[in-house]
Amino acid sequence: MRPPGARVEAVGVLTGWGEGVEALPQDARASAGGRGVIPLARPSLQGERFRRATRECLLGVVAVEAMLRDAGIDREAIRGGGTALVFVTAAAYGASNVEWLAGQAGTLHFPYTAPSVLPGEVAIEFGLTGPYVILIGGPTATVDGLWQVGQLLAGGQCERALVLAVETFAECEALWRRARWALPGPLVESAACALIGPGDTRPVYGATGDAAPLERAAEARAGRTLACAPLVALALARAAGHRTVQVRGTWRGRTAAIELAVAERPIRV
Amino acid sequence: MSSTSGARPLRPEPVAILAAGVATPIGLDLDAFWSGLLAGADGLSAIERFPTADLRVGRGGEIKKLPPVALGIRSRAAALLVAAAADLGARARLDAAPERIAVIVGTALGGVEELDHALTDDRRARRALDGLYDSPAHALAAWLGARGPVLTVSSACASGATSLGLGADLLREGIADLVVAGGFDILCRFVMRGFDVLRSLARDRVRPFDRRRTGLLLGEAAGLVLLAREPDARGPRLGRLLGHGSASDASHVAAPDAEGRGLQAAIRAALAAGDVDAADLDFVSAHGTGTVLNDRIETAVLRRVLGNRAGVVPVNSIKGALGHTMGAAATLEAIMCLLAGRDGWIPPTVGFEEPDPACDLDYVAGTCRAVRPRRMLSTSLGFGGCNAALVLEAGS
Repeated sequence: MRPPGARVEAVGVLTGWGEGVEALPQDARASAGGRGVIPLARPSLQGERFRRATRECLLGVVAVEAMLRDAGIDREAIRGGGTALVFVTAAAYGASNVEWLAGQAGTLHFPYTAPSVLPGEVAIEFGLTGPYVILIGGPTATVDGLWQVGQLLAGGQCERALVLAVETFAECEALWRRARWALPGPLVESAACALIGPGDTRPVYGATGDAAPLERAAEARAGRTLACAPLVALALARAAGHRTVQVRGTWRGRTAAIELAVAERPIRV
Repeated sequence: MSSTSGARPLRPEPVAILAAGVATPIGLDLDAFWSGLLAGADGLSAIERFPTADLRVGRGGEIKKLPPVALGIRSRAAALLVAAAADLGARARLDAAPERIAVIVGTALGGVEELDHALTDDRRARRALDGLYDSPAHALAAWLGARGPVLTVSSACASGATSLGLGADLLREGIADLVVAGGFDILCRFVMRGFDVLRSLARDRVRPFDRRRTGLLLGEAAGLVLLAREPDARGPRLGRLLGHGSASDASHVAAPDAEGRGLQAAIRAALAAGDVDAADLDFVSAHGTGTVLNDRIETAVLRRVLGNRAGVVPVNSIKGALGHTMGAAATLEAIMCLLAGRDGWIPPTVGFEEPDPACDLDYVAGTCRAVRPRRMLSTSLGFGGCNAALVLEAGS
């Protein structure tokens, strides 16, 4: 019988600082040295299929690959209808939209302006045909996504789920700066993916007014990663050996939080 | 931590749909929308709000005059949502504490027109934030005074179905006591130019499932429903949401899977979640865009799902009347299903005249049909391989 709860099995994180939480500085703002955006390079994925894919699509793919490395499993383990995909972003569609509005994009670029095409490319790459949810927003949306995964698992609609978040800012930096959104910086480009599997403990969803050390640590070390922040927090907690964590996010005046069980990291040989 | 959900088991119970509100090209309230659908109204016209002279097609489901904009509502997208919410508010009270009211809306475009303004007009740079896709949902929540969860779903043209499904989950988990759920999108140059260059737009009219169909036309609209847990619902209701399902195609970013596998998986998931057998379905509101590919694939999927009842279950598409309203489409189609169940009439598929051998279901054609469906299926697809389905039940 399927356990009723959910557990974080693995987390892959890439940020403008590098891969994994080990690459994060102790003080992102100091390390930024006044830069408003810390960019991530376009991944060099090979193949005709990726010829038209945008940078943010490729970041989604490499985030899932990073998660697979953390889990110690190969891509066949997540292929098929048993894996749900929940994608979250606050702004990763901005680059494609601005390019399209500026008339710099080719005819076939238009579909890439849709936020759903990034997870669409990820689903194609890894053969993910299970339940599919796309949420727009900052860290609260990611917390909502983690909650939704708990629902899908408890309802028997999937056997495991990926919560994927991608944020890019470089192409729109001038716009965000004019909109005074880039302050306080830095905005740190990031892509993160958590694998959630069945567990004994049900996720506990609810906002709290209490201090959230993980939320503060994720922002202090990574900078402003928006929708990726709760997944960065999960990765930090997992690296620190925590077995139960509360991740919290605040966005547009709303706070959401969720408490989750976290699996032990596999022992690398 | 103050948990609102952890102790409750997941209850796959139906969720009550108390009321609905809309703003559409054929009517700015629910009554006008419904009478327009039944009459076979055509809401498609020459677009007047932005230039289209350089486009192959300059027609769409444009709302010519929106109600006066409320204070603090800066974008047309938010104004559309507020218009639908005002209609909803005239039909049902949001009778719950503000922090127990959630807002969840679906959109394919968010506030993208504001991004366009911010790029071209320096004075509007701060309004770039209104261009974020979740801005209209937050504007709606502020207008409603709702302080519970605010979610934006963007599974392209399936968004307005998934938002209702997630709204039901929020209620079942006890995270909210009332949910305002739905979808919206505006007709703007950004999206018109996109579909125009993709050659997806019909030059004359939208003809879902018709032999002569050549493509879709876009429309703008907002549709909202008020959801509550069934045991908490008082008074009359439009019906119930029994189940929802979603699935990814994982085959192409801009075209449906050739076999419709994702759509079929979403339908099966929705039926299973609602504990409904396909044999119990009385009516299907199809995505029915009027594109050659979609209508053929969707027909094949429905034929497999409905089995030997495929030729007798009525099917319609309302995109010939409204255009494809993108993020609003699935919500409007769900509302149409419930009104059909309430009044015993299924609206016609405007534009369907000549049958296509590849589309051989029982499409409601010509005029509305006197049938009172009890259990209904609504299907949706979108860019990125998105598929979603809702199973609904008419109010008793």
